[in-house]
Amino acid sequence: MSWDYFLLFAIVSLCFWSFGAYAAWREKRPVFVHGFTIVGLVVFFTFIVGMWISLERPPMRTMGETRLWYSFFLPLVGIITYSRWKYKWILSFSTILSLVFIYINILKPEIHNKTLMPALQSPWFAPHVIVYMFAYAMLGAAAVMAIYLLWKKKQKISPMEMDLCDNLANVGLSFLTLGLLSGALWAKEAWGHYWSWDPKETWAAATWLSYLCYIHFRLHKRNEYRKALVILLVSFVLLQMCWYGINYLPSAQGASIHTYNMR
Amino acid sequence: MWKQPWGFKEGYSICIGLFITGAMLQISIGKINLDALAYPVNLISGIGYFLLLTTLYFKYKRSSYIVSWLSSYQAAISSMSSMVFMIVLMGLIKQTPGYISMEGNFIGFSKMLSAWPFALLFLWMIIILSMTIIRRLNHFKWSDISFMLNHIGLLLALVGSILGSADIQKLEMTTMAGRPEWRALNERKEVVELPLAIELHKFSIKEYPPKLMLIGASLPKGKSATFLVEPGLGTGQLLDWTISVKKYLPYAASVPSGDTLRYVEFHSFGATNAIYVKAINRKTGISREGWVSCGNFMFPYNAIKLDDKVSLVMPELEPQRFYSSVTVYLESKKVQDATIEVNKPFEIDGWKIYQLSYDESKCRWSEVSVFQLVKDPWLPVVYTGIIMMVVGAICMFTMAKKNKEDKV
Repeated sequence: MSWDYFLLFAIVSLCFWSFGAYAAWREKRPVFVHGFTIVGLVVFFTFIVGMWISLERPPMRTMGETRLWYSFFLPLVGIITYSRWKYKWILSFSTILSLVFIYINILKPEIHNKTLMPALQSPWFAPHVIVYMFAYAMLGAAAVMAIYLLWKKKQKISPMEMDLCDNLANVGLSFLTLGLLSGALWAKEAWGHYWSWDPKETWAAATWLSYLCYIHFRLHKRNEYRKALVILLVSFVLLQMCWYGINYLPSAQGASIHTYNMR
Repeated sequence: MWKQPWGFKEGYSICIGLFITGAMLQISIGKINLDALAYPVNLISGIGYFLLLTTLYFKYKRSSYIVSWLSSYQAAISSMSSMVFMIVLMGLIKQTPGYISMEGNFIGFSKMLSAWPFALLFLWMIIILSMTIIRRLNHFKWSDISFMLNHIGLLLALVGSILGSADIQKLEMTTMAGRPEWRALNERKEVVELPLAIELHKFSIKEYPPKLMLIGASLPKGKSATFLVEPGLGTGQLLDWTISVKKYLPYAASVPSGDTLRYVEFHSFGATNAIYVKAINRKTGISREGWVSCGNFMFPYNAIKLDDKVSLVMPELEPQRFYSSVTVYLESKKVQDATIEVNKPFEIDGWKIYQLSYDESKCRWSEVSVFQLVKDPWLPVVYTGIIMMVVGAICMFTMAKKNKEDKV
C-alpha cells in the first residue's frame, strides 16, 4: 500500500463517518450509526495496516504518521462516547476533527520512507504512540466540548454535559498516564534513564499536571463549570506544545532527542 | 485573607511566598547541589521526612489548622498549578546541562532543576501529597484503592527519583576491539575506574539499503526526491527523471578512469557503497549514466550531474541496527559474554550497559564501540511507584466507566 492511495481510502472513510454522523444527528436507529462508523473505521485502519506492511515498520515516526492515527482514533472515541451517552452531535464533531487532520495530511504528507533509527526499534514503540494518540483524541474531544459549552451554547451548562467532559478527561488522563509511564520505562531501556527532562518530557509533565488540576478542581468545586472548562482548555494548549509545538519552540531547538520527523 | 477556612487565595499566597523566598536564596547562596544527598544522607532524610510528617499529622491533626489544610483540594490545586507554571517556564527557557556553569541566568531558571524557587515549590507539592496520603491511609477504605495506587505511586516515583539522583552513576566507556577496558568518563569528563571491565570482540553494523537523492537549488519544495534502492535492483522516479539501477556494489573501491571515477568490487577494510545508474529525463529525453557513491573515510564520494540544475547523489547510509559482542569481567572473577544493542542493554551486578555510539567517521568499519554504564540503586523504588501508577491509571479508566453506568 503506498501513500498514493491515501486520498481514496480517506474519502471512503469520511463518507461512511459522515453517514454515521448524519444518522446519529437525525436520531436514526443506532445500528446505522454504529454500522457506518465502524465500516469507515475498518476502511481507514486497512490503510494504516497497509502502510505498516509496506513500510516494514510501524507508521508512527513522522508527524504525518501520528496524524494518521489521530484521524483514526477521533471517530473511534466518537463512537465509544456515542454508544455510552447517546450524544447525537458527538459523531459530527469527531468526523469534522478527523477531516481536518486528514486534510493536513493530504496537503503535507511528510516523508514516509522505510528507515527507522535504532532508538525506535523497540517493542515499546507501538504501544507508547498508540496510547498517546488515543489520549490526545479523547482530550481533543473534551476540548471541543469545552469550547462548545463556553462560547457556543446559549443555555445553561447542564451537569450531564460536565459529566461528559469529566469522563473524556478521566479516560484521556488515564491513557496519558499510561503513555507517560510506558515512555519512562522505554527511556530506561533505550537512553539509560527514565526521565531526562528532554523538552518533550518537560511539556508532557506540564500537560499531565495541568489535567490533574482539572480533575481535582472538578472534585472540589463541583458547580464552577466555567472555571473548570478554562482549565481543560489551558491543559489542551499545553498538550499542543508537547505534541508539535516544541518543533517550533526556540528553547527546544537542538535539545530534544524526541525529534524523529525532522528532515 | 488568612481567615479560616483557607481557600485558593491562601494557597497561592504560600506558593508566591515560596517562589520569592526561593529567588532570594538563589541570589544569595546560588543554585542547589543535590550531590549532598548521596547515600546515606538520602536514606536518612527520606525516613526522617516520613517520620516527621506522620508525627506532625497525628500530633496536630486536631489542634493545628494548617496540618489539616495541607490535605485539602485548595492546597493541592494551588501547588500543582504553581508547578505547572514552573515547568512551563522550564519549557520556555533553554536549559543548560548541570555541569556547564552559567550563573545568574534568569535567577538560575536556565538550570531549573537546581533553582531554589522550583525546588521549594516541588517540596511543597510533595508535602501536600504526603499529607493527603497519610490522612487517607488513616481512614483507609478498600474503595480508596485507586486513589492509593495513584497517589502513593506518584509519591514513590518522585521521592525515589529525587533522593536517588545523587547516587546515580552515569559513565561513558570507549572500547577498542581486543583491549579490555575498565576506565570510563563521568559527566564532568573525569576518569573513573570501575569494578568491571569490558572487552569488545566485534562491533557490527547493519545499514539500510542506499538511497538516491536529487539535489539542486531549483527543486520544488516539499516534493519527495529520494528513493530507496531495494536489494535486487530496480527503477525509480525522481521528479522528471527515471532512474534505473544497473549495478549495485555494497563493497566497492574507486579507481580513477580518465577524468572520472570507476568503482570495482573490493571486499576489504574500508569498502564503500557504489551504484551504477542510468537516468533519463522524461520531458527532454536527456540521458546520463555513471557511478554514484556516498564515499567514506577511504574513498571519495561521487555524484552525477544530470543537468545544469540537479545532481544525483547518494546520502550516507542510515544504520538499521548496531551492536557489540563483548565479554564482561567482574572483580568477583565472574565472566559473562553478551551482545549489547540499542534498546537492548545488558544488566550485570546492578549495572546497565548500553550501546551508545561508535566511530561514526568509519561507520561499518568502526573498531571502536562506545558504551554507557548506568547504576541507579534507587530504581526499584521508582519502578514500584511507576507500576502502582500504571495499575492506578487502569483503575481510573475502568472507574470512569462505572460512574457512567451508575448514571444511565
